[in-house]
Amino acid sequence: MSALGAASGGGEGINPTASIIGIVIIIAALAITAVMAAPALAAVIGVIIGGALIGFGVHFVPVGGAPAAMGQSPGIATGVAMLAAGAGLAGLFGGAWAAANPAFGIAIVIAAGAVGGGLMMAITCLMVNIVYIFGMGIPAASGKVAKDPITGDSQAEYKSQGTEGHGLPFVSYVGGVIGGLLGGAGGTLIYYELLQVYSAMLPAMFNASAEEILPIAVSLAGIFAVGMFLVNAVLAAYNITGTIEGPHDPKFKRFPRAVIGCAVASAVCGLFAVLIVVV
Amino acid sequence: MAGALATVAGAAEDTESNIGSQGDPNSQVQLAPQMGYIHRIYNKAVSGEPPAYGLWVTIGAGVAWAFMATGMNPVLAIVIASALAIFVQGVYAATAYLGRTSSLAKFEQPVYIDLLKSVTSVTMAHAFVAVFTTVSMCYLLNAALGHPFPLPLLGIVWGIALGAAGSATGNPFYGKERQYQSQMFGAGVPISASGNIVRYAEAGQRSSLDNGWFTAKLGGPASGVCFGLIVFLELWRTVLFEEAVGGWGAIIVGVIIILIFMIIDRYIETWARKNYGPYVKAEEASA
Repeated sequence: MSALGAASGGGEGINPTASIIGIVIIIAALAITAVMAAPALAAVIGVIIGGALIGFGVHFVPVGGAPAAMGQSPGIATGVAMLAAGAGLAGLFGGAWAAANPAFGIAIVIAAGAVGGGLMMAITCLMVNIVYIFGMGIPAASGKVAKDPITGDSQAEYKSQGTEGHGLPFVSYVGGVIGGLLGGAGGTLIYYELLQVYSAMLPAMFNASAEEILPIAVSLAGIFAVGMFLVNAVLAAYNITGTIEGPHDPKFKRFPRAVIGCAVASAVCGLFAVLIVVV
Repeated sequence: MAGALATVAGAAEDTESNIGSQGDPNSQVQLAPQMGYIHRIYNKAVSGEPPAYGLWVTIGAGVAWAFMATGMNPVLAIVIASALAIFVQGVYAATAYLGRTSSLAKFEQPVYIDLLKSVTSVTMAHAFVAVFTTVSMCYLLNAALGHPFPLPLLGIVWGIALGAAGSATGNPFYGKERQYQSQMFGAGVPISASGNIVRYAEAGQRSSLDNGWFTAKLGGPASGVCFGLIVFLELWRTVLFEEAVGGWGAIIVGVIIILIFMIIDRYIETWARKNYGPYVKAEEASA
């Protein structure tokens, strides 16, 4: 219930002081990388971009939390961070699979990760609407906008009395898929960049051949990608505070703040992820 | 086969979480005593389903991986590892029920020891099915399909995805249709009714086991289909089309599948609007 009652905490705008501090932290992290592990600088930049993509993508995912489970608010009835993590990790699975094929370049790997995340969200959102419509007899209705921005369908008259709406209107469905695409792409980008660093640096460290070291490099990059994914998804979830309907929700406008926050967190995480193989 | 295992896993996961009352609808189980509605529903949502399943599946996958490293037969390793993971789930469930329910003591909600005895073992059994099938699926992905991730890492990825798919699909059915069975069909639950969950069954008080029985009719299978489709289509498009069009084949097929699902969604959305019509106030509907 807290998700329903919560007012939009933290305001909408960007705090200039905090943003400057954040940018300073990013620059410091990049400077430390450039001094201590110059070849890994591109990887850390990739990790920062990946983190920002995840933070941006999470804002597209329509999440209704506990009220959605009672048909009291639109969206998917689970937590923001958790759903985004589920989709992003499904994308990471696809991206890692493509990355294992040496013939594929970075574009294919990222696209494979993005489509994996988008597919997970497309299926989940469809099943949510199937349960709402065929299991509970409830048509989708948004509580935040009068008309669906994509289809132009009016929403208010389909909304049950005493609720904020229910189900997934088409705009939320599209938002979910875009969120999955961005999350999958961001997670895979982090994985791919770290994998390049680890497979280049670990063989010299352990004095072993590249083939012998590959499983360790894959595991290390994978676990860091999963961890950073959760960091960014939770940060973005804090920015959303509770529930969001998708790209048409007024809360969506808060995304620049999350993108800055996620970039800063990713810079610091990326720095440590790189330092463990050079120090 | 991985898709079939995933379907069973999804169905078992949702039924387990509904019997144990994990996931978002449990907010109402927690809220009810505070509004004066004392009940006999289990209450173990100290964490969401995705991280909880991430934990149990990863324990199962990690222990199975360790057993296999010692040369144990994979099937035996997965069975024993899943059973060990379920002991963790049992401890989690029992302590969560005791902790969450005793926190409601000032609202005079009792802790029922018979409930702890009867329901915990049932959630453990369902969780075993979910964890065993997911770990087996991860083993197939790694050993048969050659995914580069080691088994424990696949356990984290698919454990969290399993919890996400199961809670997203299954929660509304458990929350709206079961806990608020007394409310009007075909409409959301008014916010004013929050906490007034259905607490009585045909005979005596409703038990969480009845909730598993009810949601196993639609919420469970729907979650199973959801997770099964995710795993199957993800594997299908990669295995068959990965090499096509210079590596872009699987991606193009994935985009086409997403567009097909989008069209189906739009179709059922308009179907519902046309057939169910706009919301009608209760008094007009009964007139």
